[in-house]
Amino acid sequence: MATETAEPVTVPGTGRAASVPGTAPSRIRRIGRAVLPGPVPGANGAALYRRWWLPWLWTAPAIVCAVVFGVFPFLNTVILSFTDAKPLGGAASFVGLDNYTRMLGDSDFWLATRNSILYAVVVVPLMVLLPLMLAVLVEKNLPGIGFFRSAFYTPVLASSVVVGLSWQWLLADDGLVNTWLQKAHLIRSAVPFLSDSWLILFSAMGLTLWKGLGWYMIFYLAALGNVPKELHEAAQMDGAGAVRRFWHITVPGVRQAMMLVGTLTGIGCLRVFTEIFMLGSSTGGPGGADRTLPFYIRDVGLDPISGNAGYGSAVSVALFVLTLGLTLLAQRLTKEDEA
Amino acid sequence: MRAGRLTASVAGIIALTLTAAGCGLSGGGSGGGDGTAGGCKVDKGNVGSGKLTGDVKGQITFQTTNLKKDFGAFFNGVIASFEKAHPGAKVKWIDDPGDNTFTQGTVADAQACTLPDVINVNAPTATALTKAGYLLNLSVKDPQVARPFVPSFWKSATFQDASGSAIHTTLPWYTGGVLLTYNKDLLNKAGIDPAKPPTTLFGLFADYEKVAKAGQGKFYATMANPIWRIPSDFDQMNIKTLSADGKSAVFANDPRTTQWVAWMAKLYKEGAMPKDSLSSSNDPSTLYSQGKVAYGSTNPSFVRFVKQNSPSIYARTAVGQQPYDALGRASAGAPQYISVAATSKHAPVALAFAEYLTNAENQTAWCKDPDVVIFPTTTASLNDPFFQNVTGSDPFSQARKLVADQLKTADTNQTNLSPAVQNAIVGQVQLAMQGKKSPAQAVKDAQAKANELLKQAG
Repeated sequence: MATETAEPVTVPGTGRAASVPGTAPSRIRRIGRAVLPGPVPGANGAALYRRWWLPWLWTAPAIVCAVVFGVFPFLNTVILSFTDAKPLGGAASFVGLDNYTRMLGDSDFWLATRNSILYAVVVVPLMVLLPLMLAVLVEKNLPGIGFFRSAFYTPVLASSVVVGLSWQWLLADDGLVNTWLQKAHLIRSAVPFLSDSWLILFSAMGLTLWKGLGWYMIFYLAALGNVPKELHEAAQMDGAGAVRRFWHITVPGVRQAMMLVGTLTGIGCLRVFTEIFMLGSSTGGPGGADRTLPFYIRDVGLDPISGNAGYGSAVSVALFVLTLGLTLLAQRLTKEDEA
Repeated sequence: MRAGRLTASVAGIIALTLTAAGCGLSGGGSGGGDGTAGGCKVDKGNVGSGKLTGDVKGQITFQTTNLKKDFGAFFNGVIASFEKAHPGAKVKWIDDPGDNTFTQGTVADAQACTLPDVINVNAPTATALTKAGYLLNLSVKDPQVARPFVPSFWKSATFQDASGSAIHTTLPWYTGGVLLTYNKDLLNKAGIDPAKPPTTLFGLFADYEKVAKAGQGKFYATMANPIWRIPSDFDQMNIKTLSADGKSAVFANDPRTTQWVAWMAKLYKEGAMPKDSLSSSNDPSTLYSQGKVAYGSTNPSFVRFVKQNSPSIYARTAVGQQPYDALGRASAGAPQYISVAATSKHAPVALAFAEYLTNAENQTAWCKDPDVVIFPTTTASLNDPFFQNVTGSDPFSQARKLVADQLKTADTNQTNLSPAVQNAIVGQVQLAMQGKKSPAQAVKDAQAKANELLKQAG
């Protein structure tokens, strides 16, 4: 029985032996031997990574950032929530659960919580569906479609303050929306978009939606690329209309993206501040009726003169728990869906 | 092996956490000296009871509030002449936009031990920074510092430190005064004589009512958001907003507060104010410039804004004295202040520059700028003929004359409310204006909410 002997492969024109992955020393192994002390075990380049600290080295920048800007501030907030710390520092006393007890009996806290949850309940479903519909509309490569894609994406690029000012002008009593409605004889007197607390809240939701549509449309455009065209063609041949194909092919095809958009939007809704500030000014609407949890944290915790960072931290922890609950719910729904 | 790795990993994370904690809690230790200011390590000379000594050498940062665009040439000239007079001293000028994040941004700078060396502050910011110990005690660090200033301005330029003692951490800089600015044509349409401004705030409100009846929604008297009037109207009416120690709200004890809220509610209902301005952050500038609001801002420099942006409305603009009401003199509000950071690494330079900037010569020069209506706070400047012998009938000249008159007796002790307390009071008044609460209930609730915040402040 003849034994096969591997002939060395030469690099044309040089006469030098080329390395064959898995059988000959690769370039990376040679570099590894040159720069790392001790023998390099194993037969391939992956062995280089057996040094236990190497993965930590590669991930150290990310870990440092996470610890400094995430873990530490979070732990600090939890600790502060059991104190009467002031925004400008100084001596703080341990107050046990006082801040949490105060929170439970604080009607302004519950009003802010209601507003934040309502914000999420209204905006999340719309933000999950509307950008998807928009993406379906602009998905096809028709002449001039780039203009529409850009137009829908433009609000994403504008600053929240600029968008807020634009919406103030639109929704003022003598603004564009009221003027149009009056000219169309749909209303007699101006709709109080900027002075009624409910309308300020819903107008702020509209602003969030308008600003976020383009961003999530891009998400969905990427996800739609993964939905097999053949399914649409087959359904169309079987007589399924556009609406039926949307619900039975498109939606299931981008379900994972929808879950992601829902989670991100939900977290964003619980953190809303600028929209309320722009439309309801520093009081958060008349009587502070439109304040959300971040707005309330600013008022009670961050005011440099009368703020109580301890109480503000307790409200921040409550906001965190709410956000975590929403995220876990979304994860669970995703897992059930996968199962 | 595995246990060893785990131990090393946990140790690494703990080390990182502690490092981060150290960064956050130690305050950075800016000065490297053996004194402390706020949470920062500073040079020993910056704190304590001794006079500040040392060479006027080194680089400092000077921060103004929204002045670079219009007054860049003036301040660059002041900086150049200071640097020429003090070889080795260097001033880097930065300009903050001065929006509503100013106080919180400045506080964040202070906590990070990066407060600019010389900083233009307003009363709320000075209150917060003094309480936390981030500003130099000027009358201690230079016992002669008070000499150039008008005694009333100097006396009012004090803020409470952590122990509750009033200390001088600010130099009074410039002040604007308060005025009535109005559109003569709209007042004539409402049957109001522009030459006879009212002497009480309720008299002014009665004029607003006349404007509402004449305007019928086409034009208005003023803006609705009470944030523009609280606490300045209370000060002018001599209503005490806070107790003497500033730790509780007492405005509800004065029956005139409820009358004031009832007036505001009535005016809002009758259309003296645009409905959508109830919780809007827009001041009257834009609508006044469009001829839709009869009364403009009470800031005299507002006249400059109208002149630049709406010449046709400027031609119809006149100014009148602020109603002195029960106070009997103008409540001109606190002036702008200049402070020196206790965290400064070159405090002798910073203090020298702060005193140079606010001296009589530089204050007089700036206040003579033809495009502003601001007034100096030094005795020598106010005695300048420019401020004492005003001639001319244009709104600018008239504004200068009226402010010069009022500053002779003006009260510069405006009640200093924190933004959160002010918002809490304003919010309840807004509800009364919408008819959702009676004025009496709104005043009662406003005081309760203000007290809740003041109590947590300690």
